[in-house]
Amino acid sequence: MFSLLLNQYRRTLILFLVLALIIILEMVQFRAAIYPGLLPIFEWVRYSSWIGILGTTYGSIYATVEAGHLLSMATIGGVVLATDLRLLGIVFRDVPSETLTRGTHKVFKLALVVAILTGIFCAAGVADKVYYMQVFWFKMLVLAVGSGFVFFIKQPLLNSMPHAQINPWLLRLLAITSILIWFTVAATGRWIGFS
Amino acid sequence: MINELLLQFAQWLYAQSYSQMLLAGYYSYNWVEATHVLTLMLSIGSLFIIDFRMLGLILPNVPASTIANRLHKPMIIGFAIMFITGFLLVYAKPVETVQSLWFRIKMILLVCAFINAWIFNARLKAAEGSWDMDPVAPKNLRTGAIISLVLWCGVVTMGRYIPYDWVDCVNVENPTILWAAGCVEQLQAL
Repeated sequence: MFSLLLNQYRRTLILFLVLALIIILEMVQFRAAIYPGLLPIFEWVRYSSWIGILGTTYGSIYATVEAGHLLSMATIGGVVLATDLRLLGIVFRDVPSETLTRGTHKVFKLALVVAILTGIFCAAGVADKVYYMQVFWFKMLVLAVGSGFVFFIKQPLLNSMPHAQINPWLLRLLAITSILIWFTVAATGRWIGFS
Repeated sequence: MINELLLQFAQWLYAQSYSQMLLAGYYSYNWVEATHVLTLMLSIGSLFIIDFRMLGLILPNVPASTIANRLHKPMIIGFAIMFITGFLLVYAKPVETVQSLWFRIKMILLVCAFINAWIFNARLKAAEGSWDMDPVAPKNLRTGAIISLVLWCGVVTMGRYIPYDWVDCVNVENPTILWAAGCVEQLQAL
């Protein structure tokens, strides 16, 4: 029974263990203890690392990478909306949702990698500012939750069986959760820009 | 002549109280800008999926016409929101925007992107049924998809450049750039 559960829901269990660990660490004030220690790292990234120097010295490179970040986020948004609106039965009703979710996942992964790499570059140029922004840390948390949700819950579940065998309300819940998470990631990015 | 007319029009827009109210309201301007940027996910996101399908990079086992037809409506809704919010952003800062070189390049790229979309749609309709299930579109549609991707990447990049002041009228002395950016007063002062 235990080994069956472990094999079938291995990724989900890992995610829950990670979440439990984060809660425990939060309860023992781990985050509060390490937060001041992160400042020198952020200052080093901003003033001494090559990405920080490149981003602050050459505004044109920084703006171009920002555009790349926006384009990768747009691609993520397009894939998320197409697949999740299909799960909600709003678009692509004549295309099997299995085909759509599997066929777009590679592009999603590629766009996510580009978004993360360009995001690191953009954050490096203003690392000493984002360190003090609550919205930056909130975005990082939502991004981590979103990535965990996609790779440990949504995709394994959608790939595990034909979607007709999954409770339709569970599919709708997955789709709405996914749209909300990625919209929050994008919106908090804009919020950082305003702060 | 065209630069003078555009500047006069921008100054007339700026003289309106709603223009200044939109810019002065911290949340109003930011909400409009945030909506403009976030709608990229709907408009450009849908467009990229269609273009990627034409190039055979995504969903090769789904008919290309199905992808294009089903994403057409969300994409148009996205672009409609982007144009309304884009107009409001220009309305809030008309003089600054009209004299931005990046904004002008962006508008030229936008026109090119729409001409390309119009030709692409005509070709798509003309070829309907003949290749729908092929994993890759015919060469003329692939070319249209690549041009579309390049033009829209350019539009987004130019949009990102607009807030930067590298080629603002007060920072440039080159007459060609001043003319291209529409810096009327600086050109007259030369």
